[in-house]
Amino acid sequence: MLPRELLITCSTHTVFYIREVNGKGECILKYTALCKFELSATSREEAIAELLGLFPVGERSQNLLAGALDIREKVGATVVHNTIVLPHCRSILVDKLTIAVGRSEAGIGWPDKKIHTVILFVSPVRLNAPQDHTRFLSHIAGRIKKYGDKIVTAENQKELLDLLGFQHEELESR
Amino acid sequence: MNKQLEKLISLHDLDVMIADLGRKDIIKREMEMGLQSDDALEELKKLREEYCGSINRKWRGLYNQLTRHYGNAVVPALMGRCAGCLTRLPTAVCSDPERNMKIHTCPTCGRIIYWAD
Repeated sequence: MLPRELLITCSTHTVFYIREVNGKGECILKYTALCKFELSATSREEAIAELLGLFPVGERSQNLLAGALDIREKVGATVVHNTIVLPHCRSILVDKLTIAVGRSEAGIGWPDKKIHTVILFVSPVRLNAPQDHTRFLSHIAGRIKKYGDKIVTAENQKELLDLLGFQHEELESR
Repeated sequence: MNKQLEKLISLHDLDVMIADLGRKDIIKREMEMGLQSDDALEELKKLREEYCGSINRKWRGLYNQLTRHYGNAVVPALMGRCAGCLTRLPTAVCSDPERNMKIHTCPTCGRIIYWAD
């Protein structure tokens, strides 16, 4: 099991970095995660758009990504553990695995289930990307299996991200 | 962005999705989580047909030809280079603010290029 380290920097929304380091302390993988604890969205399309709004890509790319994620959801909804959903895809529009975590107290219609936690991630299309994609999928699957109920009832952003395996330390505000 | 270029990017992402459904490691993980749907592949292939129908025959032909040859037909431009073959792209094209308003291809490998916004 590789040790994980997460560093946080704060801006308008919270950006989290998970770095996986090997035994020699060399960084071998770095995930970027964005988090919005209080989503205002009430539908699937709105929630995906709201989380994609955090992505460091332009509006046109966000729309294309929303289209791809929508297709993925239409052919098979990614709802796990009743109220957690994992919309994901691989796309040439991102150059690294990008994760956005969102939470809605009121619930989001997805479309026939009420869900509260959205973990959206998009992986790039390149040679080693499927490994990144499956590695992150395995990581999230393990955390949901272990802490599913607690993730659903997490009371704040820190607790939610802790449960998702984001060990972190706050650095400084930008 | 050029509408045909947008459709080609979406078609590329759809092809990746279809290819992923054939990858054992991804299928295994998704099945463990209960995310795999039996008819997903068929639905995606149907959607692909619909997408293809809305793309100009010229670009669709080029896309299919490039996919057969390289495996990826659409690539981003990175630091003024084609991400597929790393050839430096013409400066006049790269510096044009309207560069995504028409479809450009790499002068060396012929892949379809887009500029990330």
